[in-house]
Amino acid sequence: MVNIEDLKSEARRVLKGGKVKYIIGYERASETWKANPVFLKNPEDADKLVWDPTCFHNLVRFVVDEKRRKAKEKQPDTRPVGIVAKGCDSRAIIVLLQEKFIERMDVYIIGVSCESTGVIDERKLAKKTAGKTVQKVEFGEKQNYIVTTEDGTMDIPAAEIMADRCLECIANIPVVSDHLLGDKTKRAVARPFQSVEKLESLSQEDKWKFWTDQMKKCIRCYACRSACPMCYCDECVVDTINFAVTADTTAEEKAQRIKWLEKSPIDSENIFYHLVRAIHLAGRCIDCGECERACPVNIPLRMLNKKMEKEAKELFGYDVGFDADQPALISCFRDGDPEDFIR
Amino acid sequence: MEIPKILSGEMMDKILAKKDFPEWLKKLEAYRVYAPRKQDDVWNYEPVSGPGNVQLADVMTAVPAKKIVFPQREYFFEFRETDDNGTKLTELLPEDNPVVVFGVRPCEGKAVTLTDKVFSGEFEDPYYWKRRNATTLVGLACGTPPSPNCFCTSVNGSPHSKEGLDLLLTDLGETFYAEALTKKGEKLILEGQKLFKDPKPEDKKKAEKIQVEAEKKIRRKLNRIENVPLKLKGMFDSPFWDDESMSCIRCGICTYLCPTCHCFDMNDEVETTTPLQGKRVRTWDTCQFPDFTMHSSGHNPRPEKSSRLRQRINHKFQYFVEIWQNYQCTGCGRCISLCPVGIDIIKVVEKVRDYGS
Repeated sequence: MVNIEDLKSEARRVLKGGKVKYIIGYERASETWKANPVFLKNPEDADKLVWDPTCFHNLVRFVVDEKRRKAKEKQPDTRPVGIVAKGCDSRAIIVLLQEKFIERMDVYIIGVSCESTGVIDERKLAKKTAGKTVQKVEFGEKQNYIVTTEDGTMDIPAAEIMADRCLECIANIPVVSDHLLGDKTKRAVARPFQSVEKLESLSQEDKWKFWTDQMKKCIRCYACRSACPMCYCDECVVDTINFAVTADTTAEEKAQRIKWLEKSPIDSENIFYHLVRAIHLAGRCIDCGECERACPVNIPLRMLNKKMEKEAKELFGYDVGFDADQPALISCFRDGDPEDFIR
Repeated sequence: MEIPKILSGEMMDKILAKKDFPEWLKKLEAYRVYAPRKQDDVWNYEPVSGPGNVQLADVMTAVPAKKIVFPQREYFFEFRETDDNGTKLTELLPEDNPVVVFGVRPCEGKAVTLTDKVFSGEFEDPYYWKRRNATTLVGLACGTPPSPNCFCTSVNGSPHSKEGLDLLLTDLGETFYAEALTKKGEKLILEGQKLFKDPKPEDKKKAEKIQVEAEKKIRRKLNRIENVPLKLKGMFDSPFWDDESMSCIRCGICTYLCPTCHCFDMNDEVETTTPLQGKRVRTWDTCQFPDFTMHSSGHNPRPEKSSRLRQRINHKFQYFVEIWQNYQCTGCGRCISLCPVGIDIIKVVEKVRDYGS
């Protein structure tokens, strides 16, 4: 199991040596039982770090922020940022490397193994605790979680409250890291696309009904996009911010700027938004499941992306986020690819 | 806040047996009835499908009741190019069919009194008021805090606040203690008059006891914030906002799900180009999005996430206080519970309070 002291001492060491600009990790603030992202600048802050089954966030999201921040600085600090990365998070780093969005030297990766479990699903836990206030969730020794509530502790088998994404995870240990903590035994997953298979078995009409019902719930808060480390477009289709306006731009030109979709949360626009996102993530989504976790109305967004991942796997034998030297799926053509129109 | 007088000129306190609740709903045929409903593990105010399908409980919906008086999308008018090269405009005011919302949290009732201020004043917003006047808000006093992040008592509210509500129900176990607070609330009781009994003195005592106990169950507090508005004024350019916003991912959850946030955008949605025809539409907007307050010049006064977090906090704890003498926060805790990265408005405001001292 990851020894938290090892994590802290590695963080302390790299911060002390000035090797990194800062470290992106997890802390637990008072008043909450869940981990939050934390940005550590000083060696003495390393004690704030935690590693527990509530470290849901894909912190690679903040590496994207860092690149933007650096681009605006006149004399940027070019040291890498340290990042605590789970297996899925490390796969996101691989995709960013493949796409040349970041360089390997931009990040110092402190990998943490999820070993035989993963992070929990808050909603599944809420059903188990039935209204009791949770104080702490810890990894157990044998594929279980120890949940401390106001009424004492509960020992819950991992499979019962683990996030769906972790149940289907194919990278329980980080794929790339500079310092790796925890057990390095790879876990085999028998059916990595189990959840998609259920949906695939529905008729076309039922699928359409399922998704239109789900999309009706969307309030277009864009938490799914905002939580995603792959959604790094300079200008997202949903908000026009880069339309170049000069003194000569006419009112008509302004009025006729391309508007891909309306702000209205109606079926057509909601579906369009989510399909654009799903297509843009095909062959890029590493199934960290953050879109689905962040969604305040619980739309099973992971299913859209998982389906794309399955297509990439079945059509092109492509596993996302394992090899930084491999060309990205959507930017390469190989002789064995099924479609030959491109030849 | 002055509570409008009720029809009979005296407070109408009644008792309703829970088993008679569906009967009461049946009498409300003239109304479109909303109540909290759970779908996919998430509570939301939804139209009620049948009188037996309402279970009032201490739950916090994801989207607040504001969506009923201030929907995420509404029409202003329709435009249509005419044969003589002119444009015909047709105002599209909402219908004023009566609506009743059950299970409204007292913090949401109070929140509506704040949006009332914004949509009145210098300009009265007919779209908002048409819906608002047609809506009867039936509050449910909180027996236990519906969220672990409830802090209404720290921002001049309470789990049994009557502000903004037309009727307040308190759950006494087998019965509801019903207090009509406005004419609209009284009318609702009169619709099911025979089902309501006069309360015994011990019923009132019991309701009051439950209400007092409820206050004690609120875990979270935001104390000593009297100087925060002034403090914020001096912190506009502080590096504090950079540090606090580091983990913000710039989604719209905190604002869209806030019962008091009311910023909106207006767009023309074109349906056909020949003839040019479409609608002007109002939708929610949020200070957290990159195109919020984007000028047509391309300049944005709030270009960074730090300035957007600052806008949210300043609006709630400085600007609104300056303009309307109220915090623009009623302590529902949604922005805390639902933030994907755990940004906690209580902590942020406490840090502002203690900043530099």
